Amino acid sequence: MKLRIIFVGQPNVGKSCLLNALVGPEVIVSNYPGTTVEVTTAKKMVAGEEIEFLDSPGIYSISDRSEEEKVTEKALFEEEIDGAIIIADSVSLERSLYLAFQVLEAEIPVVIALNFVESAEKKGIIIAHKKLSKILGAPVIPINPLTKRGMEELVNALLEIKETKGKTFTVRYDDHIEDAIREVSSQVTRTQLPKRFVALRVLEEDADFYGYLSDKRTIKAVKEGLIEHPKVAEDIAITRYGTAAFIAGKVTHLVHVEEAARSLDERLDGALLHSLGGPILTILTFVTIFGALLFIGSWIQDILTGFTEYLLSLIHLGVGFGGTALEAGLAGMMAGISIALPYVFIFYILFTLIEDAGLLSRFVVNLERFLRWFNLPGRAIIPLALGLGCTVPATRSTRILFTKKEKFFTASLLSCVPCSSRIAIIMGVVGYFGSKWLALSVFITLFVSFLVWGCIMKRITRIEKKPVLYELPELPPYRIPSIGNIVTKSWIRMKTFVYLVVPLLFLGGVAYAGFDALGLTNVIVAPLSPITWWLDLPNVAIIPLVFGFMQKDLTGSMLLLVLGGKVSSVLTPLQIYTFGVAATIGIPCIIALGMFIKEFGFNKAVLLTAASILYGLLFTGLAWRLISLF
Amino acid sequence: MTEESDILRIVEEDILRILGEEKSKRVSLESIKSEIKVAYLFISNAIKELEREGLVQSQGDFIVLTKEGLGKAENIVKRHLVLENYFKIKRTRSEREAHKITDILEHYISKEVIEHIKKLSTFKTEGIPLTKLELNKEGIITDILFPGYGLFERIVSMGIVPSEKIKVVYKIPDGMVIYVGGKKFALGNEIAKGIEVLG
Repeated sequence: MKLRIIFVGQPNVGKSCLLNALVGPEVIVSNYPGTTVEVTTAKKMVAGEEIEFLDSPGIYSISDRSEEEKVTEKALFEEEIDGAIIIADSVSLERSLYLAFQVLEAEIPVVIALNFVESAEKKGIIIAHKKLSKILGAPVIPINPLTKRGMEELVNALLEIKETKGKTFTVRYDDHIEDAIREVSSQVTRTQLPKRFVALRVLEEDADFYGYLSDKRTIKAVKEGLIEHPKVAEDIAITRYGTAAFIAGKVTHLVHVEEAARSLDERLDGALLHSLGGPILTILTFVTIFGALLFIGSWIQDILTGFTEYLLSLIHLGVGFGGTALEAGLAGMMAGISIALPYVFIFYILFTLIEDAGLLSRFVVNLERFLRWFNLPGRAIIPLALGLGCTVPATRSTRILFTKKEKFFTASLLSCVPCSSRIAIIMGVVGYFGSKWLALSVFITLFVSFLVWGCIMKRITRIEKKPVLYELPELPPYRIPSIGNIVTKSWIRMKTFVYLVVPLLFLGGVAYAGFDALGLTNVIVAPLSPITWWLDLPNVAIIPLVFGFMQKDLTGSMLLLVLGGKVSSVLTPLQIYTFGVAATIGIPCIIALGMFIKEFGFNKAVLLTAASILYGLLFTGLAWRLISLF
Repeated sequence: MTEESDILRIVEEDILRILGEEKSKRVSLESIKSEIKVAYLFISNAIKELEREGLVQSQGDFIVLTKEGLGKAENIVKRHLVLENYFKIKRTRSEREAHKITDILEHYISKEVIEHIKKLSTFKTEGIPLTKLELNKEGIITDILFPGYGLFERIVSMGIVPSEKIKVVYKIPDGMVIYVGGKKFALGNEIAKGIEVLG
């Protein structure tokens, strides 16, 4: 037998942490509300039965309003699931119960995992979980994923989850609404979903459910009949929340606890949310991360490069084409690893650190006003910041945004956000063969191109201006991040890089050797010479740019290959700058293109990639011409 | 799925409310029966329980509030008013209908809220927009006014509902950070304007 169980809970309630405790460390745990954007699955064998867990993004309600909610809703209704674990926050039980009631309305069996019991007790909130279980007709189990409290009971309850079906609590609405529910229910056809649930969703104005009615005119007729409830949807929500608060109140016992004086949390928020200090601290933090990346990164890069050269000197693969190709492949791979890996890893460690400490959500609030220039919501900062690591996962994380336009716009901005591989080009090529100041001017040029691209896309996408902070970001309490959690999480984020990018580095090297042996390099160089003319670069410089699209980390090593290692004597400083800018603006590589296709469809992805590369080349040509005037 | 003890509690509160609404603080058993449509057994049990707690006294066919009961009844009436006001005035419902919904909902409010209303010296029925609430002063949400259901439901599911306590803890450019139900949220003034509170 196999059980499929979905995790449902508010953002930041410890869903992924619980999944971690139940299954193992292969799940991302965040202190930024809304980092899980797709449903992650994990399996566990218990007493000869396989339990498959589906993690879902944190939500407050399962209604169809944002992508996060859609993901959870889809998982709830379209995947075949046997039940749900509702992770409830003991500190705000009524919010969790609101969500639980919605799941129960869909007649999905639930087990309530009561989290943060200890911290609630510290605040003087004691929850009678047995009483709650009796009221809900479903198991309620106090848990603590860190100490593994309640894990065994939870698994045992899951094995019997189907037993609760039909015996659970349902929210009762007032008589008129109940009559309306009955009337709409009688029209529900063509679905496996419970009729009462569909009726409720219809009354709650969820257009996705209108199709299940045999006669859509019923909706209008029923609503017009409800003179007592001109806003029936709102009354349903209020009653549901009221019931949640009522039951939470019934099972909660409050003990008076002396409140600590102005706590550290308050003082931190006072500084981080200050109207002037907040943005300054935010930008300073990012600058610090950047600085750390450059210094620690180049230090590790030196060590790894030395080690790689030593390794390669030991290997002699013999003569002939096979040997050369293999050697070129290895060289490409090792160069890529030593240039990019340190940056990627350090970046993710630092990013995860600020995320888990609870700082990231404050940064989102502080940077919101800048993103509003582009009519983007504050949370767009998450994918953009992740873009400094790798464009591929950053593109995927645009799913936390609300509309398709916002997602596409934000993802398109990633063409001007240098990922670690592009940072490595700027530092390793421009900085190393040119100068630190030259590298800095490339970063500045990128920033300008970011703003220009943003303004163009703002015109194209025409996203409506929305109220300030309309997504109401939650500001979670600050936490001291656990080292184990950070390392695990950084590793999971890097996994794509290691498994996908490293083999491609090898293949890229081999491909170049093949091209070279067959004398095909000219086939690329000649027809593309107008581009190199426009950029005022030697014709062969197109090779690293083209191969760079296969895999960005090849750019540096390819440039060395085609120029015979003498970058600074062949290219002028201005040309080094031009090469740096040309190699960094645009959708960076074929892997990123693949992710774009997955997220936005083939046509849009290819169009965007082509446009971004064209924009990059145009911008670079104009930039060096402008600079050469001075 | 209401338990008997719940019904008893609801009836007890209803009796106190009816008594509190009456100027003389004295109501006949008959009018209680006609207003609370539950089995008589519940009413008589509830009265017995209230008498035991020293909140009411039976005087023949009439029920009278004691001094202690008066304080409690007034709190229940105030709480009732917040919700009735929400459903009647704000939603332009008929008064009778508002009464009915309020009857269901008022029992859902936590004791903390009653305590809070108790502290208010004068009871105002009209709220002010959240943007006008003083910093760090606790208010009570009286209404949520948004054009579409989407934002409304989202806000309600976050625990921002009428009768909840709310506090503005920081002002940020064009917005604020609020503390409600043990959690902090950031929101813009435009949205805050749609949340009405009693300061």
